[in-house]
Amino acid sequence: MAGMIVTATGLSRSYGEGEATVHALAGVDVAFPEGAFTAIMGPSGSGKSTLMHLLAGLDRPTAGSVVLAGTELAGLGDKELTALRRDKVGFVFQSFNLLPVLSAEENILLPLSIARRKPDQEWVDRLVDTIGLRERLRHRPAELSGGQQQRVAVARALASRPAVVFADEPTGNLDSKTSAEVMELLRRSVDEFGQTIVMVTHDPRAAAYADRLLELEDGKVVRDGVPAGA
Amino acid sequence: MRRVALRGLLARKTRLALTALAVALGVTLISGTYVFTDTINSSFDNIFSEAYKTTDVVITPNDAVALNQNGDLPPIDGAVLDRVKAIDGVENVEGSIFDQGGTFLTKAGEPFAAQGPKFVASAFDDERFGGFSYAEGRRPETDGEVAIDRATARREGFAVGDRFEIQADTPKKAYTISGLTQVAGVDSYGGAAVALLTLAEAQRITAKQGKYDEIDLAVAPGQDAEAVTAAIRAALGRSVEVRTGQAEAADQTAEIQDDLGFLQTGLLAFAGVSLFVGAFIIFNTFSITVAQRAREFALLRTLGASRAQVLRAVLGEGIVLGVLGSIVGLGLGILVAGGLRALFKAFGFELPSTGTVLAARTVYVSLAVGVVVTLVSCLAPALRATRVPPVAALREGVAVPETRSSRLAFPLALVLTALGVIAIVVGLFAGFDESSALAFVGSGAGATFLGVAGLSPRLVGPIASVVGRPIEALFGVMGRLARENTVRQPGRTAVTSAALMVGVALVAFATIFAAGAKSTINDAIDAGLRGQAVLQNQDGFSPFASEATDRVAGIDGVSSVAAVRFVDARVEGRRESLTGVDPRTFPTLYRTALPPLGDDAVVVSEGYAEQHGTKVGDTIALTTATAKRLELRAAGIVEDKGRLLGDLTVSNDLVARDFGQRKDSLVIVGYLDGDETKAAIDKAIKTDFPQVEALTAQEFKDDQAGQIDQLVVLVYALLALTVIVAMFGIVNTLVLSVTERTRELGMMRAIGTSRRQVRRVIRYEAVITAQIGGVLGIGLGVLLALLVSRTIEDFSVSIPYVLLVVLFLAAGLAGVLAAVLPARRAARLDVLEALAYE
Repeated sequence: MAGMIVTATGLSRSYGEGEATVHALAGVDVAFPEGAFTAIMGPSGSGKSTLMHLLAGLDRPTAGSVVLAGTELAGLGDKELTALRRDKVGFVFQSFNLLPVLSAEENILLPLSIARRKPDQEWVDRLVDTIGLRERLRHRPAELSGGQQQRVAVARALASRPAVVFADEPTGNLDSKTSAEVMELLRRSVDEFGQTIVMVTHDPRAAAYADRLLELEDGKVVRDGVPAGA
Repeated sequence: MRRVALRGLLARKTRLALTALAVALGVTLISGTYVFTDTINSSFDNIFSEAYKTTDVVITPNDAVALNQNGDLPPIDGAVLDRVKAIDGVENVEGSIFDQGGTFLTKAGEPFAAQGPKFVASAFDDERFGGFSYAEGRRPETDGEVAIDRATARREGFAVGDRFEIQADTPKKAYTISGLTQVAGVDSYGGAAVALLTLAEAQRITAKQGKYDEIDLAVAPGQDAEAVTAAIRAALGRSVEVRTGQAEAADQTAEIQDDLGFLQTGLLAFAGVSLFVGAFIIFNTFSITVAQRAREFALLRTLGASRAQVLRAVLGEGIVLGVLGSIVGLGLGILVAGGLRALFKAFGFELPSTGTVLAARTVYVSLAVGVVVTLVSCLAPALRATRVPPVAALREGVAVPETRSSRLAFPLALVLTALGVIAIVVGLFAGFDESSALAFVGSGAGATFLGVAGLSPRLVGPIASVVGRPIEALFGVMGRLARENTVRQPGRTAVTSAALMVGVALVAFATIFAAGAKSTINDAIDAGLRGQAVLQNQDGFSPFASEATDRVAGIDGVSSVAAVRFVDARVEGRRESLTGVDPRTFPTLYRTALPPLGDDAVVVSEGYAEQHGTKVGDTIALTTATAKRLELRAAGIVEDKGRLLGDLTVSNDLVARDFGQRKDSLVIVGYLDGDETKAAIDKAIKTDFPQVEALTAQEFKDDQAGQIDQLVVLVYALLALTVIVAMFGIVNTLVLSVTERTRELGMMRAIGTSRRQVRRVIRYEAVITAQIGGVLGIGLGVLLALLVSRTIEDFSVSIPYVLLVVLFLAAGLAGVLAAVLPARRAARLDVLEALAYE
């Protein structure tokens, strides 16, 4: 499918065996177009996190396939998956997950350092201006507020210009004001940089920033449309 | 609560295993030492009691003033035998030779490489005496026959009928092996090589014609051995020692135990060091686990557990670990005992072993030491666990509260370090006797190590940024992460590196000290030696036949020889060593201002004169080994830059006349034309006196250096266990840190860090931690070596920079090895589980 950054076909994931088998994901077909901001919602246990893990190559499906940026994930070994995540995927986590021993700037550049790539200074400057933390680049995470930490985490996810950014409950640990700041930042990255974003969230206010809303229940997509209030 | 403690232990098996192993390795060398020395002692006990089982009474030279060195007391006069024969109740009497100091040659004609003692002895006519039995062949019957112990025969490849060459006090002679002996059913005579000759031949080649080293006798049937012993004692007086066979066996066993006592003490000292290092590890492991389980303790407190119960739970874990570790250590000790035996054998000291002895004392001591050390080490962390407030259960990321004691830690560590250094200095320079000086230096070193460990949380950061720099420059962000991780919990890193520091410091000390000793000896040889070569026993220390000296003196081209002999005597109750020299030739071959030395004169060293206020013309009263009293006039006070002369120097004539010492320990040879004469000397030695070697000044230096090196390697081998314990400490700390950083590692893996990169971060962290220990250890080792060497006059300290750099790199290598397991664990983490981990 042209213009699709991530495509999942017949994606299933079950845990356990025999009668105790739990089908976390039961045959999902979904595609994410380039430059779109998609929110995935659903009650606990609906399979939304499982879906995201499978799309990002963090977990392996029981059945079905995922194609990310033109690469079929099935059959990739750990090394190839690691390299794919490094080069094509960005992550934003609920609990920020910055390295406490590195400064904000070093955290932003971490994916590039891991890949031993030279940072594109212009791009990094633009990111830093976008997250509005130029003054605090030398600070360590412990010296930043939760919202600031999450903005650093967003910059880190964008630093390597990944094909897609996966955000897992990015506002889960934030209050409503800082949540809004982070969501606006994600929105701007879609609008200004054409970044593709897939976000799992519980929060309808966060989902409202997306272009598209997928709702999951019992491992199946039950609604695919435009979020309310968008 | 007990169940909580046990569950807590079982839930973390790796940690349990690693901590128990730290205890176990600490206990290992203690139990190993006891098993090793007990086994040796029991083997000798077995040999001696068997050897004297059917000997009723034994007469030996009297060691009246307790100066016995290696059994070379002057022999018993032959007339004693006749007097004993005449005593009522004596059925049979037989005199024998048992002389240490001969040299045996291998089939290739070289002296035995094994360092163990070699005895030239006489075969008994009466089978009841001596305890030897002939496993193969028969006893020597002619002057050309010899019987050797079967262990030696086997090791050197000899069989009955082979040629066997011996050199004792007379030129080398070849014998035919008539038989192979056993003692007490064992092939080896306690690791010694024993050659039995006929009595007359043994007396001849040991220069003891008409004399005996021992007289054995059997009492007539129906006679009481004790009564006969008393009668003989009454008849012979104090010149000889008269004992029953049993008493003699007990005495010889006790003597061996006494001789080996230093070995036991030395090994226990090394064991103490590894236990000390083990305590660091136990302390650290408990500190980290208590910190990680803060929430668990808080939860227990919320549920109503008292502080005392929390304390008991943690100490309970300590007891279980202590007991488990000690039992494992006890078992490992038995293996190590075998390893020690192999180690000593590799250095040429074969020690007997007839069945491993595990004494009850070994079990008690190992268990007690292991449990007590574990409890003491985990007391502070346990107390900290009780300070976790219950409310912490509800909060995320609680830290264990800092206590007053931890705020005081830094000043306390400073004081401890200062006290340690002061204790070392006091021990070294206050002029105490040897054992209190050692106690001061030892406890001072322990306090210094503890103090520096306490200071090092502040040192970790600066040192890490220096030793981490090359790693960071080479390996970029992974290196930087590693360095940052080491300084995250400076206290933890500090204790981990301090454990390694102890081993490195002692290795550095030994290395520097040995280098200093070598250059000091070189300087001394340069300062003193004027001759062109020296003769010494090829084993490097035993005296040798003076007939060899006479032979060399007679060689064309040799201008003069100066023999040096050593004997011991008592002066005012002290044991003093006397040096015997030839007053005519010595000053020409050795740089010293020796005043003329008559046969009733003594020259004292500057140090001795200063210490005892001796002035020229004073009289010094000595007692010899045979209880002979001598009064010598102090003829002069001499400075000896060559360090050859002891405190008291006398003439060789006096040594021969009053001490019966006719063997030379060192002979300086002077000749003019070089190589030709040296070749002639070598040839003469090779033909008749293979016991002796002739060394040029350079060869002599190399030989001395070689002896020091051998000792240093032995010390390294014994310190290896300490370093291994410290490596387990690094493993432990890293495993626990990896657990703590699971989530970070998960994130790093998620954003594309490869497994290899994860392993690298852990490995570099280990290397930096180890190198911090390396830097601190080398620093302390240098300091200690400088201090100790100040106590030795004119000791030239030369710091072996290359070796220290090698040591520093080796510390890094220890880090690499220690990182293998934790790095693998970190790399294997499942990304999803790691991210969900809490």
